[in-house]
Amino acid sequence: MTAAIKPENASQGRPYAVVGARHGKPDSLDALAGLAKYTDDIALPRMLHAKILRSPHAHARILSIDTSAAEALEGVYAVVVGEEMPTRYGVIPWTPDEQALAADKVRYVGDAVAAVAAISEDVALAACKRIVVAYEVLEPLTTPEAALANPQNKIHESNKHGNITKQVQLAFGDVDGQLAAADLVIEGHYEFHGSTHGALEPHCSLAHVDGRGLLTVWSATQVPHYLHRELAKVLEIPTHKIRVIQPAVGGGFGGKSEPFDLEFVAAKLAMKTGRPVKCLYTREEVFLAHRGRHPFDMHYRTGFTKDGKILAVDGKSVLDGGAYSSFGLVTTYYSGQLLGSPYVFGSYRFDSTRVYTNKPACGPKRGHGSVQPRFAIEVQLDKAARALKIDPIELRRRNFIGENTKTINEFHIGSNGFLECLALVETASDWKAKHAKLPRGRGLGVAGSTYISGTNYCIYPTDLPQSGVQICLDRSGRVRVFAGTSDIGQGSSTMLAVVAAEELGVHLDDVRVVAADSDLCPVDLGSYSSRVTLMAGNACLNAARDLAGKVRQAVAKKWGCEKRDVILADRRAQRLDDPGVWLDITEAFILAEIEFGTMGSTGSYQTPREDVHGEYRGGTIGASPAYSFTAHIAEVSVDEETGEVRVENIWCAHDCGRALSPVLVEGQIEGSVYMGFGETIMEHHHVMPSGLKTDGQRRDTGPGKEGLLAHSSLLDYRMPTTLDTPDLHAGIVEKPDPRGPFGAKEAGEGPLHSVVPAICNAIFDACGVRVDALPVTPAKILAGLRAQRTGGV
Amino acid sequence: MLRLSPFTLHQPKTLDEATQLLAQHAPDVRVISGGTDLLPNMKLAQTKVTHLVSAKFLEELHGIERTETHVRIGAATGLKTLAEDPDVLELLPALAYAASRIASPQIRNMGTLGGNISLDTRCRYINQSELWREALGGCLKSHGTECHVVPGGQGCVAALSADTVPSLIAYGAVVELASDKGLRRAPVSELFQQDGTWHVRIAREELLVAVEIPIPSPQTRVAYRKWAVRQSIDFPLVSVAVRLDVADGVLAGGSVVVGALGPRPRVLTLERLVGSTLDEKLAQALGQMVYDRARPLPNIPYDAEYRRERMVVEVRRAVRSLVGLPERPLTPQA
Amino acid sequence: MSSSDLNAPAPVLVNLQLNGEATSVAVPPHWTLLELLRYGLGQTGTKQGCDKGDCGTCTVRIDGEPQLACLTLAVDVRDRSVETIEGLGTGGEPHPLQEAFARLGAAQCGFCTPGMLMSATAYVDDLTLQDNPQVKRDDIAAALAGNLCRCTGYTKILDAVEEVAHSVLNRQRELAESTAEDE
Repeated sequence: MTAAIKPENASQGRPYAVVGARHGKPDSLDALAGLAKYTDDIALPRMLHAKILRSPHAHARILSIDTSAAEALEGVYAVVVGEEMPTRYGVIPWTPDEQALAADKVRYVGDAVAAVAAISEDVALAACKRIVVAYEVLEPLTTPEAALANPQNKIHESNKHGNITKQVQLAFGDVDGQLAAADLVIEGHYEFHGSTHGALEPHCSLAHVDGRGLLTVWSATQVPHYLHRELAKVLEIPTHKIRVIQPAVGGGFGGKSEPFDLEFVAAKLAMKTGRPVKCLYTREEVFLAHRGRHPFDMHYRTGFTKDGKILAVDGKSVLDGGAYSSFGLVTTYYSGQLLGSPYVFGSYRFDSTRVYTNKPACGPKRGHGSVQPRFAIEVQLDKAARALKIDPIELRRRNFIGENTKTINEFHIGSNGFLECLALVETASDWKAKHAKLPRGRGLGVAGSTYISGTNYCIYPTDLPQSGVQICLDRSGRVRVFAGTSDIGQGSSTMLAVVAAEELGVHLDDVRVVAADSDLCPVDLGSYSSRVTLMAGNACLNAARDLAGKVRQAVAKKWGCEKRDVILADRRAQRLDDPGVWLDITEAFILAEIEFGTMGSTGSYQTPREDVHGEYRGGTIGASPAYSFTAHIAEVSVDEETGEVRVENIWCAHDCGRALSPVLVEGQIEGSVYMGFGETIMEHHHVMPSGLKTDGQRRDTGPGKEGLLAHSSLLDYRMPTTLDTPDLHAGIVEKPDPRGPFGAKEAGEGPLHSVVPAICNAIFDACGVRVDALPVTPAKILAGLRAQRTGGV
Repeated sequence: MLRLSPFTLHQPKTLDEATQLLAQHAPDVRVISGGTDLLPNMKLAQTKVTHLVSAKFLEELHGIERTETHVRIGAATGLKTLAEDPDVLELLPALAYAASRIASPQIRNMGTLGGNISLDTRCRYINQSELWREALGGCLKSHGTECHVVPGGQGCVAALSADTVPSLIAYGAVVELASDKGLRRAPVSELFQQDGTWHVRIAREELLVAVEIPIPSPQTRVAYRKWAVRQSIDFPLVSVAVRLDVADGVLAGGSVVVGALGPRPRVLTLERLVGSTLDEKLAQALGQMVYDRARPLPNIPYDAEYRRERMVVEVRRAVRSLVGLPERPLTPQA
Repeated sequence: MSSSDLNAPAPVLVNLQLNGEATSVAVPPHWTLLELLRYGLGQTGTKQGCDKGDCGTCTVRIDGEPQLACLTLAVDVRDRSVETIEGLGTGGEPHPLQEAFARLGAAQCGFCTPGMLMSATAYVDDLTLQDNPQVKRDDIAAALAGNLCRCTGYTKILDAVEEVAHSVLNRQRELAESTAEDE
């Protein structure tokens, strides 16, 4: 067994009955039996199949679309084109630059142009081939360099500043002065490459209009609420005429966290045909839909005192955004805003520019926008530690920001277990005996990071709660929880069940969670930015406490005692001062129903608004109710003859506040570490580069054609198999945060961040080679080793 | 889902029936065995064909037989069977190893030796969807006239990617082919031509029946080495077999066979090195020889320059493993 | 998929053993087993991840061996035995691997899980047929190396298979010992 690692002082007893117990997901047996219904598993009578015609050009104007031959084909029920859904949308309401189907221009190879609903996929595909689109091909811009150098060639004509989608420049303190005063300045250029989510379920959507005119859309989404809003906007029907249901989802990781063409297409075609319409992506379409990790080009200068204190950080980043904005406004802020802890920065400045390019749009992959700068800063720290002859863990300790404090960019940090995380991985990895002490070819590297537990402000401006939960008790002793949350495999429904079971004194199996159905559930904003445990958990806690109070009051009345003398646990109402006095929980629920009528309650969660962020423009973006902390140590071996890096072990300790479900938290840690390992060593969402030089002249493009995805299958986009994956050692650190339910913070994304620099720092420890441009490849290692031998850098 | 265009599947029970079907429908016909290469290529409309002749029910194509001089392996023998067969493991360990490194466990349960030998060539510009190839404007193997690997190139240079081929050649294997005109035999070393659009010299009318491999003498040592980014699923990015014939403790002959270059494997014989002692110098010499005489192309999806360097290392390591040296040198090599 | 595909040759009758039950079904000859299971027979437990043999999501057992349903022609399973997730166990009576996956958190999104379980049951079943079986984590990893999982990092999957393999072998040994004592 790969044993989980535990802090030495981990407490043996638990103060709770359900919270913190080692349970799995009660609903997972459904998936394990093959019975869980994912969207493509649902079939409706008279259902049609839709396929989408996609652009073969990276950048072109659409002159005309002739669908007549497609419409004439037997078995075709309807064809839809962009001008039928002209409203522009975007998950960020400030940057609506997408259309369900392109009407004026196509902006990447794969941009959707038209769609067909037909009796079968075969017929729909045949019909797509009969659609004639006349294009005026435009010069494609497939690197930020080319897009910035050719501002007159606008990918989006309505964009204000050439091809710049967003620029953020923020400064805190006297960066130039502190850099001048520093004993050591580490300066480096870093490249972070694109990667994609790789959820195994391809996107799928099914739509149906019922006899009352209600449009129901089932979709593999992690944001049913945003989908609901955008469907209403684009289809021009009120939200109350739309029902969005998220069935079981086969993984998201940020790849299903905004509306996609197939959802609008299925809905529109269902409206046009009066029949249910399903649209299922091929794997290639998943790669084209993308919204994955932004490639970053970064330049960092970091100033240190001779004892390793960070005086100044000055970062400049160019983000390769792809064809659309997606979450890009937020990504651009996150690229700087989330770097302000776990270390104290004496001063800080960042300048980030996101650029449109004619490629699949980038968006939020696990660790949205902050994995890339985290790589740069943690490698900088490693370089500083070497230069200053300070142990890299010690250097990080010296800069620890502490608890209940503020970052230099004025985010409020509550609980902070970063030191405990460092200590745990230091011990578990035997760091002191191994770091810088192993034989050449083997080495250890460390890195640390932080992440948000959701953001204080919703994507659209509103004073409405971020999450709502409704709970009903019934006479059988069962608890029903209704929530808008999206379980995409991470276990959000289990989390709600844990919270409800803990408060109401039932077992996990006694709680039924009904989630992500807009007709049945209150709104939750969705599974993104690691917000669900803290926000929906709090909403659920509020609802459950309300009910638990009534149950205890009813029981207290029967026993003639005070409400505070009644506790609910283990399917019983128990008299606190007399363990011999108890009632079955079912009887307690019945007593409560007799006393108060039908037992139901609602709870909601709104983020704190006072004293949690700075009052500067952009100061709210990245501000979170609570922050998680992570430390990684990677152990690698480097084959100096082949240049191949084998990652042997990764230890990861993560402060999630309180582990409501430790097994699930470990699963999030292991999955995050796996994903970060994969993108460091073997994955690359790579698009063939532009033929344009910065001076606007064409250059020799070499083979192929720009704008085509180099790796658009699961064969060529290489996700690690069992045989490639290192031994992963997950450790949970619990520093409860008063803002989280039972103190819980996030666990789903934080544990990815610092694995990337930890591996790179370990490579340096093993063989003295720095890989500052990702991904790590054997060729780069060999080049570094050669430079070493010839006395180069 | 990806769609297969309709086709007619023939499931003959005898060799005669099979060869007649092939003759009747050639050239619009393919033999299907495991289907693990043909079906994905058909789903991507890279291979378009109306008739499939199944090799599943042809008795002559199944089984592994050991005689005094040869091992005969039916073309429809499964890759897992091949990798685990006691005779193959004992007599032809490099072939068993090559089979064990093909793709994934599931694909080894489905794929066959004959299917691997005739595995279609691979290239980043062809193993793509129709949309992708249309966007590219086609290539010599698709619907275009331009080679994107070799600018100005007139012949398709898609890469032979069959893991078993280099060791089969190193072992001196011969294939037996059947058609309605009868049987013919051909050495595997002569089975391939420099045309990535149809790189096997097997006519559409022909059926690969079996592979015969002479049992190597105890003086012959063969090793296969594959490099791919992942330990499973991937096609080879570097694929080399090394054969050393040893007499009186020195090299008496042998060959290096390199796959994953262009459509044809490169076979280098070791005459010039006859008499060499079995040591690190030999490993270095063979490495240098392949570096000089075999060049990976930017056809399959990985940096070709690195593949060239890696090919050299894999050859060295193959030699080391055959002469009893540790695989990795104690001091880093240039 | 609908059966009214363009120019499709007439469906052919295929008899197979599906999860132990004799099944007769008419299937278009260009359909894969994956299409037959999911859209012809409504057995949607077998999932589609890439449809071209790259991910292992659609793994089923054919005559006991894990194979890919997306690259198997439906007509080729004539007279053969096909096992899918639907035949493994139910919520009320789960297979030990299903129970262990649930308890140990080896299934997150659950999408790769049916295929993963097909490979895992084949590994455990093979183990029980060996003369001197040893449970090795590396062997488990090798047996599952054709099944991609994007959620778990494989750790808890390997844990679950390892635990079940040990318990199955222990049960087998106990049974053998008690039989020996009886003799």
